[in-house]
Amino acid sequence: MSSLMARMKNMYTTLNAADARRICTAVAGGLVLALMTGPDGSITSPLYGVRESFLTTHVIGYIIFGLALGVLMTFRAKTKDGTWRRVRTTPRKTFVQMLAASRNALRTAALSLTALVSVVVALLFADFSGPPAPHKMSWHEIFHQFLFTRTYGYLLLVLALWFAIANQLFQLSDKRLRSFPKPALILGGLVVTLFLALCADPFLPARFSLNALSPASKHSMFHHWTTYFWLVLGAAIIIPWVFKRRPTGERRSSRQMVALTTSPSMRFLTYLIAGFVVLEAPKYLSTYWQITLYQQIGVFCLLAIGLNIVVGFAGLLDLGYVAFYAIGAYTTAYFSGSLPVQPPFHLNPFLTIPCAIIVAMLAGVLLGLPTLRLRGDYLAIVTLGFGEIIYVLANDWVRLTGGSIGTGLVSNFSIHLLGINYVWNESNPLSYYYLLIAILLPAIFLFDFLNNSRVGRSWAAIREDEVAAASLGINALKYKVMAFAMGASTAGAAGVFTAVKVGTLFPNSFVLQLSITILVLVIFGGMGSIVGVLCGAIILQWVPSYLNFHAYLGFQESDLYLYIGALLIVMMIFRPQGIIPSRRRLREFNDAEEGLGSADPLGAINQETPT
Amino acid sequence: MFNYLIQGIFAGLIFSLLALGYTLVYGVLRLINFAHSEVLMTGGFAGYFYLHYTIGQHLVSGNIGETLFYIVTGVLISGVAGTVVAVAIERFAYRPLRRRNAPKLAYLISAIGASYFLLNLAGKEFGRYPTATSQPFDNHVVFTLWGGQISMYDFVILAASIVLLVTIDWIVSRTKMGRAIRAVAQDVETASLMGVNVNRTIASTFALGGFMGGVAGFFVAINQGVAYDMGFKPALFAFTAAVLGGIGNVRGAMIGGVVLGIVMFTPIYWLGQPWLEEVIAFSVLVLILLFRPTGLLGERLGRSA
Repeated sequence: MSSLMARMKNMYTTLNAADARRICTAVAGGLVLALMTGPDGSITSPLYGVRESFLTTHVIGYIIFGLALGVLMTFRAKTKDGTWRRVRTTPRKTFVQMLAASRNALRTAALSLTALVSVVVALLFADFSGPPAPHKMSWHEIFHQFLFTRTYGYLLLVLALWFAIANQLFQLSDKRLRSFPKPALILGGLVVTLFLALCADPFLPARFSLNALSPASKHSMFHHWTTYFWLVLGAAIIIPWVFKRRPTGERRSSRQMVALTTSPSMRFLTYLIAGFVVLEAPKYLSTYWQITLYQQIGVFCLLAIGLNIVVGFAGLLDLGYVAFYAIGAYTTAYFSGSLPVQPPFHLNPFLTIPCAIIVAMLAGVLLGLPTLRLRGDYLAIVTLGFGEIIYVLANDWVRLTGGSIGTGLVSNFSIHLLGINYVWNESNPLSYYYLLIAILLPAIFLFDFLNNSRVGRSWAAIREDEVAAASLGINALKYKVMAFAMGASTAGAAGVFTAVKVGTLFPNSFVLQLSITILVLVIFGGMGSIVGVLCGAIILQWVPSYLNFHAYLGFQESDLYLYIGALLIVMMIFRPQGIIPSRRRLREFNDAEEGLGSADPLGAINQETPT
Repeated sequence: MFNYLIQGIFAGLIFSLLALGYTLVYGVLRLINFAHSEVLMTGGFAGYFYLHYTIGQHLVSGNIGETLFYIVTGVLISGVAGTVVAVAIERFAYRPLRRRNAPKLAYLISAIGASYFLLNLAGKEFGRYPTATSQPFDNHVVFTLWGGQISMYDFVILAASIVLLVTIDWIVSRTKMGRAIRAVAQDVETASLMGVNVNRTIASTFALGGFMGGVAGFFVAINQGVAYDMGFKPALFAFTAAVLGGIGNVRGAMIGGVVLGIVMFTPIYWLGQPWLEEVIAFSVLVLILLFRPTGLLGERLGRSA
């Protein structure tokens, strides 16, 4: 106890002016946050928002939040510079290593924590696949959302998943499981799976009514053959794992534990879960979420991985990315004859996908060829201007684009081939979604392949040191234009999907703010890391939709860009490499900060005069 | 045609004021301050509120003393507001990165973030609709020159910007602060070895640019009213002007602004489509960057200010 007091005293006495400033800054940050979340003012009463934000009781909460943040930051800084660090005799361990080596109490605590997280995830999933809240609800009413049967289905599903993983990671109950006779286990597993499937069925009441074969039941889990596919695949993975022979009593070393998380089977399991989530889960979402999944998340994933090539791989800052998206969309409109200018022939949107890709790519090359010779910051502002010009053209060149009143109706995707006639329509949002996935997945694999190929290595070389790369015979301009054109064509493809889904195009859908939003997706996720960028896009597009969907949370959509701006600054100050950084990019950031190499994505550190 | 020419010259003077902010910061830090558009916006709103609470809906008398009073105080208030915001941007969006020696991309992104944050904060607190500003003077046509009308507003801009441009030229080339700025622009390390406080010099550079940006915002506010996104387009033009004159070069920015104004507005006389001015400005930017990236007067702040 006395040693604790002594340590507290030590901490108190070593606080200095810098710490005080840090804490004050954090508190000020809390106040800014209060302002950001507060009500709007207006030009006639400009202080209304400020007054209402600061004169309510919850500003105290923000101050406390700021204080806590400041103390945390101080603590981090102090332990980092050694002032408060205790002498560590053993090397630092990772979380998994710590768990593996820890005693039972800690292990139990960690398991409970992960279980809790799983439950929260399940409840959230149940919540956002459920009906929207009709009005501003009090908190106990919100829990009514959780009283649907499917909630328990999700709950069990996630718990089972957690159990399977925890069992592998922590050898939770190997021995106990093995003491069960195998047939009983398999039978039990089947029963549980069936129960899960039933519970996850949103139309359970309908199934047990007399009218059991009502159209609604078509949507149940059992009417998709894919369910059985996933079940068999899952069983094929999990059952051998559970019954794998291991020497009894031997505890895996922590190194083995870590190796396990990256082992082929684990990776396969990850792909499996990802595949399930991407292909199966959307079927059980409500229509709102299906549309959001396509329009807000899917299309932006495509845009984000496209911009990732430009910003992440080649290290070029493109602030007018939305221009190529607009070009793709307007090309689609042109070929379906909905612009004032009639095309020579009409094309099915399926065929406009390649057209839009080519047109956007040409635009990219035309813009890139002259401007990519420039320094990076000039490129940023030229692309910014380009984005604005495309917007101005869409808005003001009425004879070409229809101007601000919008284009005519863009025709939908349709198949008329070999006797099959199918037209995509609004009533089935998933049909668009699966089509998008059919483009998105190959794009992801293609870009990943490119990044690991000669091209990707050239991009990395140019990004890290253009002069050195050129001296090794890499044609920098060629590879930069290539990155630019690939990014542009991806945006063009995304433009087709948006044009077809929304039907009528307005110039206001292609404002500069969208470019910044896409940039944020890339930066938040982690420049240069495809997984990171996808995660960033999913998280940052999902959160606003979720907040909008549940109006009782009081989120104003117009404030979105405020948060995006703040997020950009905060990311750059505290975690410039993004949430899931690419390893190489992280090293570049660290090198640059230590002044090693000229790993400056914008080059020109040593070049005083422009080329 | 002269109407467009004159319009171009006076718009160009505002671009010059704003371009100074870009050029000074570029000269010292070698990066484009993307958040400079918000300095203009803040100056505009400061001017709006000042005039709103002093003049309000009243009509001003044509008295020259009263006009002068409102202009001078308005310019000072907007300038100070711009200075405060510019220094705050430097403090919160740039200095933490500079301390860490972050790569240049990080600065650009952080600046864009700051710009978006301020832009939308203004939109949130002051509403998202454009509003007209109270007029501090009677904006009548003073005289007509070959068909081009020169109004009171143009006179005010001309007088104010000449005073400001001469002052800033004097500050940068003659005073101690200007010497420090030029020294840091030439060589940061040597300057700091010679006893120049680099952090303070950078802050003062932002402050100078911010003052000019705030004043530009005041003039835009009187002429076109205020809106939360009023800074974006003038800032894009001003950047073009700075590049046209040679970025990092103070006199270049002044000349570049006026030249860009003329080049942008005069062709509208023949083309007849006002929205084409943006296309022209953009083409000018790309052409300069292609054929003479150092601009009309060449680049470095240290050498030729």
